[in-house]
Formats: sequence, C-alpha cells, structure tokens
Amino acid sequence: MNIGGLVLSPTAPLSESSQDEQNLVERVASADPAAVGEVYDQHHRAVRAFATRLVGDAAAAEDLVHEVFVALPRAMRGYRFESSLRTFLISIAVNHARHHVRSATRRRAAMSRLAFEPEGTSQDPEQIQRRKELASLLTRALDTLPLEQRVAFVLCEVEERTSREVAEITGVPEGTVRTRLHHAKKKLREELSQEGIG
Amino acid sequence: MSDDLLKAATRALREESETDDADGRFTRARVMASLHQGKVKRRTRLAFILPLAACLAAGTAWGSATGRLPALFHALSEAVSLSSKPAEPKPHIANGTVKKAPADESAPPTPAVQPAAEPKPEPEAKPELKTEPPKAEVAASARPTPSGASSAAFQDADGDLYRLAHEAHFASHDYGRALAGWDAYLKAAPGGRFATEARYNRAICLLRLGRDAEARQALEPFASGKLGYRQNEARELLDELSR
Repeated sequence: MNIGGLVLSPTAPLSESSQDEQNLVERVASADPAAVGEVYDQHHRAVRAFATRLVGDAAAAEDLVHEVFVALPRAMRGYRFESSLRTFLISIAVNHARHHVRSATRRRAAMSRLAFEPEGTSQDPEQIQRRKELASLLTRALDTLPLEQRVAFVLCEVEERTSREVAEITGVPEGTVRTRLHHAKKKLREELSQEGIG
Repeated sequence: MSDDLLKAATRALREESETDDADGRFTRARVMASLHQGKVKRRTRLAFILPLAACLAAGTAWGSATGRLPALFHALSEAVSLSSKPAEPKPHIANGTVKKAPADESAPPTPAVQPAAEPKPEPEAKPELKTEPPKAEVAASARPTPSGASSAAFQDADGDLYRLAHEAHFASHDYGRALAGWDAYLKAAPGGRFATEARYNRAICLLRLGRDAEARQALEPFASGKLGYRQNEARELLDELSR
C-alpha cells in the first residue's frame, strides 16, 4: 500500500514476526534507548504522517510523535505480537492524540479569528496552493468531529487502511469503525458545503 | 459535488502531510534526550529511595530488638495527633438553649488526687441551659485509660488535676466540682499545655452554674479571638447571654 509516497506494509501477522523483531521488542520494553532509536528509524515516517493527518498541525504532530516514542518502552510491556509493530505504534498515537488534537484545534480556531494565515513557501505554484487550501479546509472540518470519528476518517480515508486494520488500532469492532466513518463523512460533507466550496 | 470535494481534500491532506527527514531527526534527538532523562531520574530516585528504605528497615529491626519501637510509635502518633487536631463541633444554640458542652480533645489519665471543694452557684436569672454532650465526647471522657501518648503527657500532678476536672465536667456533669477542678488545674499550671481548654471549660461551668456575669467575663477573651480557641462558640454564648 502506497500512502503519500510511503510504502506501508499490511499488518504483519504474529507468525511473521522474526526473532530479530522479538529481540527488538524485548530491548525496547527494557527501555534500551538504542532499541527505541531503531524502532524510531523504521517507523517514524508512518507515525508522523498519521500524526500530521490526524492533528493537522506539523508542530503538534511532532510533539505527538515524540510522546509516542517516549511512551513506547512502557507500552511495549503490553505488546503481544498480535499486530505489527507499526500498527501498535499508531494505536499508541491514537491513545495519546486527544490533547494534541484539542490544542491544535484551539490554535486553528484562534488563528482563523485573527485572520492569520501562515506564509507558504515562495515556490508554490497555483496547484500547490490549491492543495494547501483543500488540506487546510479538510483539517478545519475535521476539527468539528469527535475524536473517534476523526481517527476513523484519517485512518480509513486519508491513510487508506482497511476497516479491519483500523479496528485493530482503535480496539473496536469493524462495524463500529464503519459506522464512525459513515458519520464522519456525512458531517464532513456538510461542513464542506457550508464553506461554500462543495 | 461535495463528495468529489471531500475526496480531493482527502487526497490533498494525504499529500500535504508527507514529512521530511529534518523534522524526523530533530524529534529523534528529542526522544533520545527524554529517554535518557527518564533513566537518570529513575537512577536518582533509586539512589535516594534504596538507602532510605534500608535505613527504615534497619531502624525498625533495631527498634523491635531493643523494645523501643512502641515508644517511638507512640511519640510519632502523638506528634501527628497534635499537628492535626480534629475540627471542633459547634454548640447548637436555639431559643436560649445551649445544646452542647464543649469537650476537650484529650482524655485525661486515671485519677490520682481528689478535686477541690465545689463552689456554690450564684443565684441569678439565666437562660435555660441543657447539656447534651455528644456520644463521642462522653466516650472520650469515660475512657478508663488514655492512649500511651496522652499518658506520657500526663505523668504529673497537673495532668491528674486536669483529668479530674475533665471527668467531673464531661462524665459526671457535676459542674461545681468541675469548676473547682479547672481552677485547681489552672492554679497549678497557669501556662500549661491545656490551660486554654481549661479556661474555656471553666467558663462553661460558670455558665451552667448560672454565674452569668463571671461566665461572660470568662468568655470574652475567647469571643474576641485573643486566645484563638472556640471563638465562634464563645461569641454565640455571649450573644445568648445578652438576650
């Protein structure tokens, strides 16, 4: 699966986890910084991409990534090889996302009240500008959703994950994921039409 | 239309959130620093806690072996009980009726001396006083022996005087005898540890004996807050007396 130039492997089943990965997991659980660094190097792009899409703010996303990897050794004690390490990292990010999403939402609301627009890079052609606007529009619309629906939308639609994988990450049944996604899309469509673009 | 827009916006968000490695390297350094800090904190905590735990264990073992542990425990519990006195119950005054006699927190030890003679109450017009000390107070005053901490504090004659007065006041409700007891205690230990409580209890005895003028005089320092003890109750009693 190719997401935004990143190749994400599908969820690795337990049988595929190599001895190396098990050793790595054990080392991470014992808070070995080198092991955490190794996991970081392997998975930080996926975690960061998800964090940025979910939070909609690069700085807040970096904070979330930081939090995920700092919390990893402790969280790893509960890792049972039932999902891939990447999926596990994304689920940690989901669990830590709430206050980052809240603060990013607040910041965006304040910025829009002040009619503040961050300056884009000078090299943007028209298309890039349009893409930026759309992404920003969707992020603002996402701010109106409850966190659960937001997570479902980002994982399913933006990251193109299967509902099964999302169910694994969020720890809810697939049916619930689909319901959340349905409500999220409905609400987002309404929000986009209200913006007068739809 | 909005469906297409949603798809386009989703694609835009996906593409916009591609990250570059510069951020990644910076955050990696932050993660490593945080993990290192966490490790240092854990080590520091261990470096403090382990010796403390060892000292505590050794001290406890030594205390048990030498039989000093109970004494230490009592001293400690006394210090704790002194630093955190329980909230005092308020006397309930309604329609000229005082429903509660203030109690002293500490129950005195076994009597060793007899109380002094009871003074006669002055015949004066007074509001009707009904005393119903709460059960807890009665239980406290009827306690046969105090805790080890209290007994340590009452190993002298002053303590005996205090205990006798307390018993007459809160157990026997013999206010004449209690008044004499409080006077005797205050004479023996005017600056004693429980002198303030004794003065207050003395004022209550005067009140119950109908010696309103003296009671008013005795309550005034409390009501003014000079003594920092039962100010509200004293004020309420004075108000009641002045009706």
